[in-house]
Amino acid sequence: MKKLLFLAVKDLRVLLSDKGNIFWVFGFPVLFALFFGAIYSGAGKGPSGMKIAVVDEDKSEFSSSYISKLESDEALQIVHLSREDAIEQVRKGKVAAAVILNKGFGEGFEALFNSDDPRLEIASDPSRRMESGYLQGLLAKAQFEALGDKFIDRKWMREQVNLWREDMKNANELDAEQAELYLNFIDSFDTLLKDANEESFNLGFDGDMLNFAKLDVSREYEGPITPFQITFPQVLLWGFLMCTATFAVSIVKERTNGTFDRLRIGPLGYAHILGGKGLACFLTCIFIICILFFGAKVIFKMPMGNLPLFILGVLCTILCFVGLMMFICTLGRTEQSVGAAGWAILMIMGMLGGAMMPLAFMPSWLRALSHFSPVKWGILALEGAIWRDFRFTEMISPCLVLLAIGISAFSLGVFMLRRQEN
Amino acid sequence: MIKAANLKKRYGDIVALNDVSFEVDKGETFGLLGPNGAGKTTTIQLLCGLLKPDGGAVELDGKRDPSLVEVRLSLGVVPQALAIYEELSAEENLRFFGRIYGLSGRQLKERLRSCLELAGLRERSKGRVSKYSGGMKRRLNMICSFLHEPPILLLDEPTVGVDPQSRNLIFDTIEDMKKQGRTIIYTTHYMEEAQRLCDRVAILDHGRILDMDSVENLIVKHGGPSHIEAEFEERLSGPDKIRPFIEDKNIQFEETKIRFATSQPMQSLAMLNRSGARFRSLKVQTANLEDVFLNLTGRRLRD
Repeated sequence: MKKLLFLAVKDLRVLLSDKGNIFWVFGFPVLFALFFGAIYSGAGKGPSGMKIAVVDEDKSEFSSSYISKLESDEALQIVHLSREDAIEQVRKGKVAAAVILNKGFGEGFEALFNSDDPRLEIASDPSRRMESGYLQGLLAKAQFEALGDKFIDRKWMREQVNLWREDMKNANELDAEQAELYLNFIDSFDTLLKDANEESFNLGFDGDMLNFAKLDVSREYEGPITPFQITFPQVLLWGFLMCTATFAVSIVKERTNGTFDRLRIGPLGYAHILGGKGLACFLTCIFIICILFFGAKVIFKMPMGNLPLFILGVLCTILCFVGLMMFICTLGRTEQSVGAAGWAILMIMGMLGGAMMPLAFMPSWLRALSHFSPVKWGILALEGAIWRDFRFTEMISPCLVLLAIGISAFSLGVFMLRRQEN
Repeated sequence: MIKAANLKKRYGDIVALNDVSFEVDKGETFGLLGPNGAGKTTTIQLLCGLLKPDGGAVELDGKRDPSLVEVRLSLGVVPQALAIYEELSAEENLRFFGRIYGLSGRQLKERLRSCLELAGLRERSKGRVSKYSGGMKRRLNMICSFLHEPPILLLDEPTVGVDPQSRNLIFDTIEDMKKQGRTIIYTTHYMEEAQRLCDRVAILDHGRILDMDSVENLIVKHGGPSHIEAEFEERLSGPDKIRPFIEDKNIQFEETKIRFATSQPMQSLAMLNRSGARFRSLKVQTANLEDVFLNLTGRRLRD
């Protein structure tokens, strides 16, 4: 054990002797935390301030009301342009989409709900499909809100009812009995609009048409979820990825420098040498955690959820990445080849696992692939402890996956290393 | 003390060692002399257990497995490549390797001081190794292996690429180790080093030992004759007066000069002296290991 410690301390000294290493292993995750924490400070509301162009060709009272609803939405940033300019801006990628309100957009229910002759057109950037879907939701919400305002306008509503009545009388496809039923309903509705007193009418028709009640999925969570709490697991994973890459390269460096052979000649077993490396990597990861944990707690006042489960998640994640480090170091015989191959693998793991973009924003096939990334399981384990309020039994599955990946990668790495050395 | 019996090693199609056998006695300095690619490093790596032989066996101090901890503790291996941590200082390197070999406390401190002194690195001991000269790094590379005072030293071309001053310091250190009675195997492709340091030398080429003996015996056996060039005070009155004293039939006469080859230069000089001729200058070029190698392989050591 003493020798393991000597080896690990030596590796830490070597690591700390390089300012570049210090930045990438310790500084980068902190910067990452600050950067992504700021980006996700509107987390839960989707991408804030999506820039869209609005073209009002209708210029009606309803279209103005609709546009003002869009402008009041924090998630949107509206610019007013002509049809040609708006489409040009979308083509150039300067706005996410162009929303065109055609003539007749504000002509009542007929205009709003006639699917054969839509009065609202959307030109969206093909590379921003996810945002386009999100935008359609926001447009529908604004439409319902603008419509809600119209519902308490009795004069407008009765005009609409008259239009329905005329349509019904001219509807030749309905038999007389069915037409009578609808006309009776329209007459009753018109009577309601005409005779209901102000108080009961407003009670019946005023208010949000599209309002959602939000359910809290957490079990025992007491404080607010800060954006840093959401990005914290990603940041930790980035720290581990950096550490894994650095130590994988350091093993190859020892092999190319000959110090690895010098250690092998010494009174040490293979287990000592590789265990020492693993221990150094493990201790560095712990150190990264301590720095980030301290920063998150003291600077961002971040609630940490369940601490024992957090420690369990952290330990399993670190052990997984120590194993991966051992495997990655065997992917080449030079620092350059291992550095390149290691980063390629780790970046893919990071991307697939949600260390760059939350898994929720990914297409379903990518989400399915993410099961193969240890980063996904690491983030899940850490999120589970920090803000998902996982029970111990719920932590078992990600932790077991992480340990299985770690042990397999470590064993494979040691096997390949021994084979290469002999 | 060290025994290599019929060692064989291949790297794919390349035969690195082919039936190499030798024995080194306790306290002896044994040289492996050969050009690059002769199999010297492979021999060292087989002896210290870094490589496993395809055939044959190694015996160190009566034990057949170099991977045993007690065998490794008795070995000090100086690798050809610099195997030190350049990011650390000399002192940190030595302290680390010392601890790995079980040294601690006062003993470690004492050995550290003594090794730094030996390598002439005491004043720069706290500086980063990456800032050292090539020679300083070589010296540190060497003393890292002496730190635990092993009875057996395997030195693989320890003077490659060093300045003359550092080379002399390394020679002095090795001679010091010899005096302390350590058993040394020294590989080199510099025949002067083998001649200066080794009690016995094995000539290695293409993975085979061509011959193995003391330097003197090798030269006698394979070095060929020495060449003597003498200039006399006066023109030689007659070559026939000299010829009876010289065994070489291709003796060259030129005014006051004479050139000839002989396998026993001291005897020939004594006989020339007896002829009564007075010398103005005398040049004796004796055979060396370079000639031995040339005569054994038809190539020069550095070809």
